[in-house]
Amino acid sequence: MSDTRLTDGTVPGADEAPGVAPAGKAPAKKKAKTVVPQRKVSWTARLKRDRSLLLMTVPAILLLAVFAYIPMAGNIIAWQNYSPYTGFLHSPFVGWSNFERVFNNPAFLHAVENTLTITVFQLLFYFPVPIFLALLLNSVMSPRIRTLIQSIVYLPHFFSWVLVVTVFQQIFGGAGLINQVLVNNGGSASVNFMTNPDTFLVLITSQSIWKDAGWGIIIFLAALTTISPELYEASVVDGANRWSRMWHITLPALRPVIVLLLILRLGDALTVGFEQLILQRDAVGADVSEVIDTYVYYQGVIYGDWSFAAAAGLVKGVVSLALVLGANKLAHVFGEAGVYQKS
Amino acid sequence: MSGTTPELSSDVAVMPQDVVRDATSGSGAPRRRRRNKYRPVWEEQPTKAGQLAKGLTLSAVVLVVLFPLWTVVITSLSTTAATNEAGGLVIVPHSLTFNAYAQVLSGGIVTRAAMVSVGITAVGTTISVVVSVLAAYGLSRPGSFAHRPILFIFLITMFFGAGMIPTYLLVSSLNLIDSYWALILPGAVSAFNVLILRNFFMAIDASILDAARIDGAGEWRILGRIVLPMSKAVVAVVALFYGVGYWNAFFNAMLYINDNAKWPLQLVLRSYVLQGATLPGSGTGQVDVATGAVTGLPVKMAVMVLAIVPILIVYPFIQRHFTKGVIFGAVKG
Amino acid sequence: MNSSTTRPRRVSDFEIGRRGFLGMIAAGAAVVGVPSLLSACTSEGGGSTAPSAQATVSAGNLPNYYPVEYVKPDFPSVNGSTPGFSKIPASFVQSVKTPPGSGKTFTAMTPLWGTIPPAKGNQYYDAVNGMLGSNISFQISDGNTYGDKLATVLASAKDLPDWVCVPTWNMPPRFGSEIVPNLFEDLTPYLSGDKVKDYPNLANIPTAAWRFGVFNDKLYALPFPGEIITDTTFYRKDVLEKKGVDPAVKNGDDLIALAKELTGGGVYGAEDLWTTATYIYAVPAKWKMDGDKLVNRVETEEYRAALDWTARLFASGSVHPDAVAGNTAEAKTRFQGGKSLIMSDGLGGWNEALRDNLASNPSYAQQPFPVFRADGGKPVIFQANPVNIFSFLKKNSDEATIKELLALANAMAAPFGTTEYDLINNGVEGVHFTKGDDGLPVPTKLAATELQPTYIFLVDPPVANTKVQYPGFVEDYSTWMADAAKYLQEPLFFAQQIVEPAQYASLGQPFTDLEKDIARGRKTMKDLDAAIATWQSSGGDQLRAFYQEILDAQ
Repeated sequence: MSDTRLTDGTVPGADEAPGVAPAGKAPAKKKAKTVVPQRKVSWTARLKRDRSLLLMTVPAILLLAVFAYIPMAGNIIAWQNYSPYTGFLHSPFVGWSNFERVFNNPAFLHAVENTLTITVFQLLFYFPVPIFLALLLNSVMSPRIRTLIQSIVYLPHFFSWVLVVTVFQQIFGGAGLINQVLVNNGGSASVNFMTNPDTFLVLITSQSIWKDAGWGIIIFLAALTTISPELYEASVVDGANRWSRMWHITLPALRPVIVLLLILRLGDALTVGFEQLILQRDAVGADVSEVIDTYVYYQGVIYGDWSFAAAAGLVKGVVSLALVLGANKLAHVFGEAGVYQKS
Repeated sequence: MSGTTPELSSDVAVMPQDVVRDATSGSGAPRRRRRNKYRPVWEEQPTKAGQLAKGLTLSAVVLVVLFPLWTVVITSLSTTAATNEAGGLVIVPHSLTFNAYAQVLSGGIVTRAAMVSVGITAVGTTISVVVSVLAAYGLSRPGSFAHRPILFIFLITMFFGAGMIPTYLLVSSLNLIDSYWALILPGAVSAFNVLILRNFFMAIDASILDAARIDGAGEWRILGRIVLPMSKAVVAVVALFYGVGYWNAFFNAMLYINDNAKWPLQLVLRSYVLQGATLPGSGTGQVDVATGAVTGLPVKMAVMVLAIVPILIVYPFIQRHFTKGVIFGAVKG
Repeated sequence: MNSSTTRPRRVSDFEIGRRGFLGMIAAGAAVVGVPSLLSACTSEGGGSTAPSAQATVSAGNLPNYYPVEYVKPDFPSVNGSTPGFSKIPASFVQSVKTPPGSGKTFTAMTPLWGTIPPAKGNQYYDAVNGMLGSNISFQISDGNTYGDKLATVLASAKDLPDWVCVPTWNMPPRFGSEIVPNLFEDLTPYLSGDKVKDYPNLANIPTAAWRFGVFNDKLYALPFPGEIITDTTFYRKDVLEKKGVDPAVKNGDDLIALAKELTGGGVYGAEDLWTTATYIYAVPAKWKMDGDKLVNRVETEEYRAALDWTARLFASGSVHPDAVAGNTAEAKTRFQGGKSLIMSDGLGGWNEALRDNLASNPSYAQQPFPVFRADGGKPVIFQANPVNIFSFLKKNSDEATIKELLALANAMAAPFGTTEYDLINNGVEGVHFTKGDDGLPVPTKLAATELQPTYIFLVDPPVANTKVQYPGFVEDYSTWMADAAKYLQEPLFFAQQIVEPAQYASLGQPFTDLEKDIARGRKTMKDLDAAIATWQSSGGDQLRAFYQEILDAQ
């Protein structure tokens, strides 16, 4: 019994590149390398061994079962011509016609296209920003300054989107600060950042960065705390410089979190800033700002087509889940733990 | 732009200059010692260019954040006339007044609602963190029994939501309408936070845990004595996520709480934002019976500031746990 | 991280109010459900001069109209315009002699666009409940998310309060066909014909307002009557006078020229004037007759011309850039701050602007342009819905309870000049207001906390302008409206609850976007043609047939 305890598990990150310390396991890493090939343990033995672990998951599972899964059954209306006042027990079933309406709609497909464009753009230009900021902040030596900056940059997260858009409008808008300065200096007011559909991607990404990048860094700061300073000391002895320490110690320590967040972000690929986009829809037009959520909102919620909204939501859920599972597989190929392991 | 911003930005800018002075002038031993205290012995002295770039970048970041913050605070302290004059948010302060705050805080409703919110946030965050930590640790042992199907159960909830009406019917059938539990239980477990916690737990050196198991420690003991002390940072972050979620929530309260005396702060504050809205088709009807109220932007901004203040107060205590210095000790100890 | 705080957000979690609830009227106005032919009759008491022949419904189901007048208006109603009162009468009449209630407690759900009043120890509630003789216990809900609240409560009958306020723009789908008959009390047996005489203040409400509360030929709703005209175009009178600019505008081109003339030096001539465009081009709200063919709003020449005019206005550069960027929320701030000088607004915005600005800027003045037609011809103003908010009583087998609630409604519907009206609108003298030297009530600080619109959302007397506190306002207002009312026309299907089949509900959405796109020059009339063709083929023509059927039945 005792030896199975020692050897049945693979150690996350144990298969990382040689010479690189896996996340957070500093002095004892030699031990971790000595993985004994996995031995088959009968499921009854594992059940017995892990019963306290299983017990620990029970409260969360119960809460989810009651408050997530039971109401989730309401999604049955996706196959109905639903009226809330008849209830989903009595609304007539209509087969897949609601799903057909979702897929046979050019406006919906256009919204999907916009959504994916925005997601890809933000993955490239927004996702790395908090990581970069966290590293930068981490390199500030004075705790006083570090704390000060950290206590400031997270604040915009608590601003509503209405305010964020208003602030941007007052700085970059046609009557905003920048144009006023231009006019005062003899130029003609022509900066058209807020109403230009061509630069809309840049606009909403800057807004997202401004609002949430500072908030996003805290999870990476937490990950950075798990790195033992002894790792750095050892690497200095080996003659590693600033950049190689960053490359070989800091980033690998962040990697599991980065990969996890990346995978989960992919799961959110079809969900982009609903409120932010609704607020700026008139400014740039629906052609560039219509995304899945706004489309479903107008189609399903405003006009009370609940069945359509549910069908679109289910399609979205299936695609998101597929993306996450696919990304997870991909992570395994690259030797990352991802959301969960193969083991 | 006058006032706080330049002051703060120069504070940041001090950093590179300090370094330069330390490296070159050697003006005083105490100063040098202070710097050395923060810089680990193994860390080489930075290049001037690197420090300058870093200082400039961080200053820029702070400025970009502070400037809008400044306009929000100044606007909240302005009169309606001043916001009219500015045509929106006020940048240059004149004739500051606390009227907007006085108006929002008068009557005792806001203080009462704040108590409600503090209670919900405290109880809710505690429950959420405990349940999530347990679940995350329960799923963190590699190869443990049924961990994959259970993880899947969690994962599904991230992508398949329930509609507003089914959730309401559930809450109503559990007789939770007008109960504070309706504001806590439905959102008590976030799969996202469980996954984050689990991710951090799994990064803990397995050999430490295995050693403890060999010594006969049970899983509860390992969680309490080994895993949690090593995971203060991520628990603090997740507590923050949950806490902020509870604090900011208003929509569920709008649906589930009919008794206006039980409203949480965010819902009450929203009502101040709506003050002075024009009703469609009301014309000169009798809608705006309460007159003499400060309306518009100053109140909206004051509400925004008031909603953030409690977070401002709590944040430093939580932040301590995920900033570098403290944790060094924790890991070593 | 986008997703770092909570679980992924779902569409259904989002509040409706973000675009401003004014925007929601357009969206929410489309009522969905099973077709039902409704209409009403001409009024017997002669309250509104409804000329359109409407056949299908039993005249006898509507309450008869018996106007009462406690105070003679200084500016009487002309063609249905809002009567104006320019002074407070020295004494009030008590219209309901004894408190009608039995001492029971009833729950009522109402929206609120304001600060939430304390529920306990609220002297305003105590006083009004005392006047009523029964307790109304309010469940107040945030006005911007009221539609969501309503949708959930109506889906769960056991949570339904005794009395429910329903703004027309929040009417959930299939409201008329499924909800109303199942959840709410049919008031026809209590109020039809001369039975309404038991409730004289309810009998004082004009027939059109009642007609709008008829579903499936039965009367269900208690009205909150609105005005015949809801919106108009205001200019900053004080600023224009200071500039020496003559606001005489005879046609659409004049208005663009004026906006352009006023633009310069950080000040812009106009806000987004799309609403103005629909007025000066007389764009129908839904349908109009072209010969003997029904034509939808989006197919009309008027709609096209209004779009073209708006595009020209935007192209002239005189629209405030924030308005171009779609920020309508702060439009009033810009207008009242003098950053923009012409705006479309609800008439109710007029006295609110005075309320908010006269203290800090005593010379503040805004004025609506006299109504005009874009081509300089005779204007046409389509009459607005007679009701925008109404309320329903929960189904109750106990006749006495319904009668008691109606008696309470009767007390609440007491018009200007009664003690009841004074109490509901101003609260208790010495507590919520004091009498100023001019005899006008001056609200106390407590009024701001306790006295919020609550009872008035359950039922309200006919609309009257009693804003005596702003010098000259009542006269300006009444004069303008009497003039505008000359051009009043009832639109097709006026004051009828028509429930469109659900599949047509979102047909109009592309046009909402197109209006913004064409105005800003992103799209052209070609796109409009394409959108109309799509509209026709994807359900518009069936919708036309649907309405044609209703028309034929009348």
